[in-house]
Amino acid sequence: MELYVPILVLAVLAAGFAVFSVTIAPFTGPKRWNRAKLDAYECGIDPTPQPVGGGRFPLKYMITAMLFIVFDIEIIFLYPWAVAFDQLGVFGLVEMVLFIVTVLVAYAYVWRRKGLDWD
Amino acid sequence: MSPTLLAAAAPDGPSLADFGKDPLWISIIKALFIFVFLMLGVLFGVWTERKVISRMQHRYGPNRAGKFGLLQSVADGLKFGLKEDLTPNTVDRVLYTLAPIILVVPAFLAFSIVPFGPSVWLFGHQTPLQLTDLPVAVLFVLAMASIGVYGIVLAGWSSRSPYAILGGLRSSAQVVSYEIAMGLSFVGVFLFSGTLSTSEIVASQAHGGTVGLFGLDIPLPSWHVVLLLPSFLIYTITMLGETNRVPFDLPEGEGELVGGFMTEYSSSLKFALIMLAEYVNVFTVSALSITLFLGGWRAPWPISLWDGANVGWWPMLWFFIKMVLVFMFFIWVRASLPRIRYDQLMAFGWKVLIPLNLGWILLVATMRVLQVESNRVALVYTLAAIVLVGCIAVWFRFDTVLQRRREDREAQVEAEFAQLRDAPDAGGFPVPPLDLPHYHGAERKEVPSGSN
Amino acid sequence: MNNTFQAPTIEYGQLAPLLLVFGAAVVGVLIEAFAPRYLRKSFQVPLTFVSLLGAFALILVQVFVSGVPTAPAAMGAVAVDGPSLFIWGVILILAAVSVLLITDDDHFVPQAAAVPGSAEEDDALAEGAAHTEVYPLVLFAVGGMLLFAASNDLLMMFVALEVMSLPLYLLCGLARRRRLLSQEASVKYFLLGAFSSGFFLYGMALIYGFAGTVDLAGISRALGTVSGQDPLLLIGTALLGVGLLFKIGAAPFQAWKPDVYQGAPTPITALMASGTLVAAFGALLRVFWVALGNLDWDWRPVMWGVAILTMVLGAILAITQTDIKRMLAYSSIAHAGFLLVGVIATGDARQNADALSGILFYLLVYGITTVGAFAVVTVVRDAGGEAGHLSRWAGLGKRAPALAGVFAFFLLAFAGIPLTSGFFGKYAVFAAAATGGALPLVIVGVVSSAVAAFFYVRVIVLMFFSEPAADGPTIAVPSMGTAAVVTVAAAATVVLGVFPEPVLRLADQAASTLFIR
Repeated sequence: MELYVPILVLAVLAAGFAVFSVTIAPFTGPKRWNRAKLDAYECGIDPTPQPVGGGRFPLKYMITAMLFIVFDIEIIFLYPWAVAFDQLGVFGLVEMVLFIVTVLVAYAYVWRRKGLDWD
Repeated sequence: MSPTLLAAAAPDGPSLADFGKDPLWISIIKALFIFVFLMLGVLFGVWTERKVISRMQHRYGPNRAGKFGLLQSVADGLKFGLKEDLTPNTVDRVLYTLAPIILVVPAFLAFSIVPFGPSVWLFGHQTPLQLTDLPVAVLFVLAMASIGVYGIVLAGWSSRSPYAILGGLRSSAQVVSYEIAMGLSFVGVFLFSGTLSTSEIVASQAHGGTVGLFGLDIPLPSWHVVLLLPSFLIYTITMLGETNRVPFDLPEGEGELVGGFMTEYSSSLKFALIMLAEYVNVFTVSALSITLFLGGWRAPWPISLWDGANVGWWPMLWFFIKMVLVFMFFIWVRASLPRIRYDQLMAFGWKVLIPLNLGWILLVATMRVLQVESNRVALVYTLAAIVLVGCIAVWFRFDTVLQRRREDREAQVEAEFAQLRDAPDAGGFPVPPLDLPHYHGAERKEVPSGSN
Repeated sequence: MNNTFQAPTIEYGQLAPLLLVFGAAVVGVLIEAFAPRYLRKSFQVPLTFVSLLGAFALILVQVFVSGVPTAPAAMGAVAVDGPSLFIWGVILILAAVSVLLITDDDHFVPQAAAVPGSAEEDDALAEGAAHTEVYPLVLFAVGGMLLFAASNDLLMMFVALEVMSLPLYLLCGLARRRRLLSQEASVKYFLLGAFSSGFFLYGMALIYGFAGTVDLAGISRALGTVSGQDPLLLIGTALLGVGLLFKIGAAPFQAWKPDVYQGAPTPITALMASGTLVAAFGALLRVFWVALGNLDWDWRPVMWGVAILTMVLGAILAITQTDIKRMLAYSSIAHAGFLLVGVIATGDARQNADALSGILFYLLVYGITTVGAFAVVTVVRDAGGEAGHLSRWAGLGKRAPALAGVFAFFLLAFAGIPLTSGFFGKYAVFAAAATGGALPLVIVGVVSSAVAAFFYVRVIVLMFFSEPAADGPTIAVPSMGTAAVVTVAAAATVVLGVFPEPVLRLADQAASTLFIR
């Protein structure tokens, strides 16, 4: 755990700085109220009403997020495998080829179903 | 790890076991150093970037504040503080305020595992020039990068404006897409160094091992960049994508999205924090590229012949020089390359970098097995052949498909044009003939530009 | 770096049936990716059957050529023992029969992504689109079932649970008609299933905290050696039990079953009602007998309560149902209760073997009868799809005597009338329970069987002794597959009801070695 103490120190430092900046920001600057300034910026037109709670966003991003999870987990499997590779030897290689091929099957499916295309 | 590397690993700088022994005040000094280093780095990094890019574009750049405009960033920083802190009345206030903090803190933290140099004596304590090291140090960097994505998403989402939401979504989609390719490009390094700890990765680049190929002992160069060049190239691309830098700075594409996810952060200290986080991220990925591929703090070849090059405080200089060079590369890229389209960006990340990377990893692993278990060469060669053939087959297959599709599309467009040319009203709607003189202005004389 | 790794060994021969099913599923995904649309089904259907029957053949090879293994495979992660092999065989048969139903395109939505009632849906319908992904999904689910029943450590069991459940969640939402109901069923199943998986995972974590291992045999050993950690163990056992009891649909975790069975495409309902139940009982037995066998003093009272509640609730609520699929779902809950009686009937090795053999036999006969019953349900149709409401079934015996007769026979088998397979199933389980000292449970079981018989008979009366409605449902001409399913199920129900001896002996043999550790 001692390894993480310095990280904690840096975290306190960075967080302190960030929180300090955000907190003093309203006090250092001037205050000149203007209704238009407080609208969302849309190049001068009236702001589009945004649904409370965020509303919907394109499904496309969700698919990207799910693919990210799949591949991120693949990476998580690859790291320990890479670190211990010399001890695992040929067995490790064969198993990892099988694993990667299995993931690639899903990848090929997504690719063919245009899951990787944007428009 | 092969015996040659293992034997060499011990004296080549600190290893994981040397960490966690500092008293608290040394940790505080080191943390403070990193903090100041990054803050000053950002101040002068911004100045350098503006100055260099100006010279590349035949202009002077900032030259008013201080000598050579050196204090320009300081002035900008002060100005940020003196601007009005606007909070648009549609935003989700808590998250809107929190987002810059969530962006900044992990950006700083990721730097804590970067090795600046070997062990030195500091106020009577021997301590490595590195804040700390973890058994999972590189994973820690990736984790921090992932937390940074939260900042982007929350900044975009809490702003409640179309530009910000789209920018935030795009940006996070881009970052996570390139994070995969980035994570995969590390695997080769771990294969060769057998550890995720950054100090030990640097140590593993001290001496190259040897590879027995066709009965010859070929010495390997020590830096991973030589041995794992494809990994390094992919990493270089992904570090541009990961930090939203040109040519992958789509989320901030002014032409289409105004300021992307930071549109609603008008120029106050919050915006300054976001900019700070972006630059710190650039430094982090640069430092990581140096640590993993470019020999870390180790001196490059001609200098390394000098015995004192890799001990004491000198390595910090090598590290700093490497850092500046990598940062210059960022600037050079920014000055040279145009921004690419978003679909191209995603297609490049998902369809090129990831398969390429996976194929390369398997190839490297096969070579590694060859090196470690030389008694089962036949099996390994077979595997290598299968992997290679498989990769090429997959690539070929997809490539021809794309090619055919492209040709089909061109043929279709061509056919439509032919149809329109031959029978303008065949399409069912009035089409003006394409060769109307009216459109071409064929009668008018062309005026060469530049002559009034 | 300091500790070296031992490369693990994997007994590919023993795991061959599993690997075949999973491999075929992966190939199925590749077919989806690369085969042209019009060819996909003609690739998928043979592939599915070949893999399921091939896996069954591999089990026969394992049993008759290599003999039943005596040690767990894959570093203790998977136990391919007598009960496992029997359960695998049952699951593969049931899956193959269910796939016969699934090949009938008529049950599945042409394009799942199209909003119900939208123009896209009509387009997809007109185009004759179909989701041939159904086949790989079914194979993944079946592979998960096989692994679930045979996994010898909790971690493997959890992975298997997810591999089994996730495709089923998806398949539930693919009904062609009454799509909103189907999607609702899918979401409900997914949410509740995810909760139960969470319970399972938490229980696993706590038990790991207690025993320091997820290995079932290791947990059993730890029961004797670790002391002073009882809260961890007991809470962990309870949570683990919740996860498993949810999958078999025992009360009070039965609420999902009627909704999901009703909403899902009927072939998928058949697969779930048979295969999932079998697999889940395999896993439940393994956890409670192998890992927690020495803790039976603690879990037995709770299981008593659960079994009684399940039987009573299933039987009584079934009476109030007006939809045929919901009624069958409640009947499935009641049957889960009867099976639980067998799970409780532990004792010495002889007693355990008896109880196990009873359960195995029961699972086989119940599974086959269920698939047959759901196959009949697919054929009785209205304009809007299957005629679910019971009133629509009035007078069916006069319009389609053969079909109604077969269905009546299945219902009698559910009720456990002598000369049907259900009778011997119930007899085997209850007899084992009675000798195992669970006489009160047996009495409750018999009483609720009688209650259950009431509503089965009510349907029979409805079919044969009331006047058919003027605009009654049409009887679709069953496809080859459906006809085959009904025939096979009816034949099995008769044969096992009249000559149960060979299969009973097989179950006895499979159970005689009990679970290996």
